[in-house]
Amino acid sequence: MKVVIVDYGMGNVRSVASALKFLNVDSIISSEEKDLNKADKLILPGVGAFGSAMEMVKARGLDVALCEQVIQRKKPVLGICLGMQLLGVSSDEGGGTEGLGFVDGCVGIFNDEYVIIPHIGFNQVTPKSSSRLYRGMGHSLDFYFVHSHKMDSNSDIGQSYCDYNGNFVASFERDNIAGTQFHPELSKTNGLDVLKNFLELF
Amino acid sequence: MLRKRIIFTLIYEDGFFNQSRNFRLQKVGNIRWLEMNYHFQDIAFSLDEIVVLNASKGDKNLKDFASMLNRLVDNVFIPIAAGGGINSVADAEVLFENGADKIVLNSALYEKPNMVRDIVRHYGKQSVVGSVDYINQDVFIKNGVQKIDIPLDSYIKNLESMNVGEIYLNSIEQDGTGFGYDIDTIQRISSIIKMPLIVAGGAGNEKHLLEAISLENVDAVATANLFNFIGDGLPNARKYLIEKHCNLVQSV
Repeated sequence: MKVVIVDYGMGNVRSVASALKFLNVDSIISSEEKDLNKADKLILPGVGAFGSAMEMVKARGLDVALCEQVIQRKKPVLGICLGMQLLGVSSDEGGGTEGLGFVDGCVGIFNDEYVIIPHIGFNQVTPKSSSRLYRGMGHSLDFYFVHSHKMDSNSDIGQSYCDYNGNFVASFERDNIAGTQFHPELSKTNGLDVLKNFLELF
Repeated sequence: MLRKRIIFTLIYEDGFFNQSRNFRLQKVGNIRWLEMNYHFQDIAFSLDEIVVLNASKGDKNLKDFASMLNRLVDNVFIPIAAGGGINSVADAEVLFENGADKIVLNSALYEKPNMVRDIVRHYGKQSVVGSVDYINQDVFIKNGVQKIDIPLDSYIKNLESMNVGEIYLNSIEQDGTGFGYDIDTIQRISSIIKMPLIVAGGAGNEKHLLEAISLENVDAVATANLFNFIGDGLPNARKYLIEKHCNLVQSV
């Protein structure tokens, strides 16, 4: 199996590569279309601001390339943190930016009247019972989150929730498209198990 | 419920990790020493986060620091925050590329507020940790050497308005003493800000960790004490805190 970690110049791709190596999976870090073409699976990581990230994605032609691989060719993709948010429709971060639009989810900021922003640290996810991402794992699982914006969706996108003064989408999984708001590569054994499930079950 | 965190801080200077006492550094060993004495890949599972600070003097050698970082993060599946001597957005990028999940800024918070804003804008506030070294109401930058003209409380309020994501509050007086955290200052600061607070300086044993982590608005306790927590020290401290019903991740 060949995994491409899609690099668009935002954030730490090193830990994702290290986690895949630990799971004995070959991966390369690239934004080249020819590499994406040969990949069996894609991982879209990301740390940072939604607007800057979409600019970088578009500047490298990755919006078009990802659409071809993920929507037309149905290649499995896992978005992580900001990478997950980019797979949604839009974000209100910085005045409003359109995302890749692969799943029906919108991104907004947490309400700082009730909680401390950013949401940083380990928090529990309650896996949806039919989930592939958490197959074989428990009912309340700790993962590492570090974010100020969250995704909500009115559609069934196979979402599992985390509670931070109200539920937000901790992960989604629909056909070949999956995303986690948390960082599986920074979430100890639970995180490695989720990555393994994505690699084996998608 | 959002968990609290135990953080291990490594202080790096010119190729060596150091034990710091009141900000005077004593070389302990290089990365091979660290790997041998701490079995880093194993104990990382009993930590929640690692902070690595470059305390090299003069023009801090970012390249060497980054390559050490790159080696350190291998098979360590928890977040790493790195910093020390970051002078540009490009410097921050080098650390991100070599395995940092967050960036720690200290002197730049005072000297280069525009650069701080640029890093926050590009990487998001959650990627920026503001590190503050203090004695009483005095704030010090440049590895604790240069005193600045803003008192601690207003300096930290100002960091909040600069959109820094977290505060790493380090007592120079308690640093490396093993006498326990500066609880009074921690309590005062935690009541005036609304952002995640990491406290450092003084932890000598697990009771000190317990005392600070039990404070309502403290999100994380850090220790940089290479001697007091050597070997199984950190896994054992975690076990103790969980037995005392601290809100920590219980599985590894």
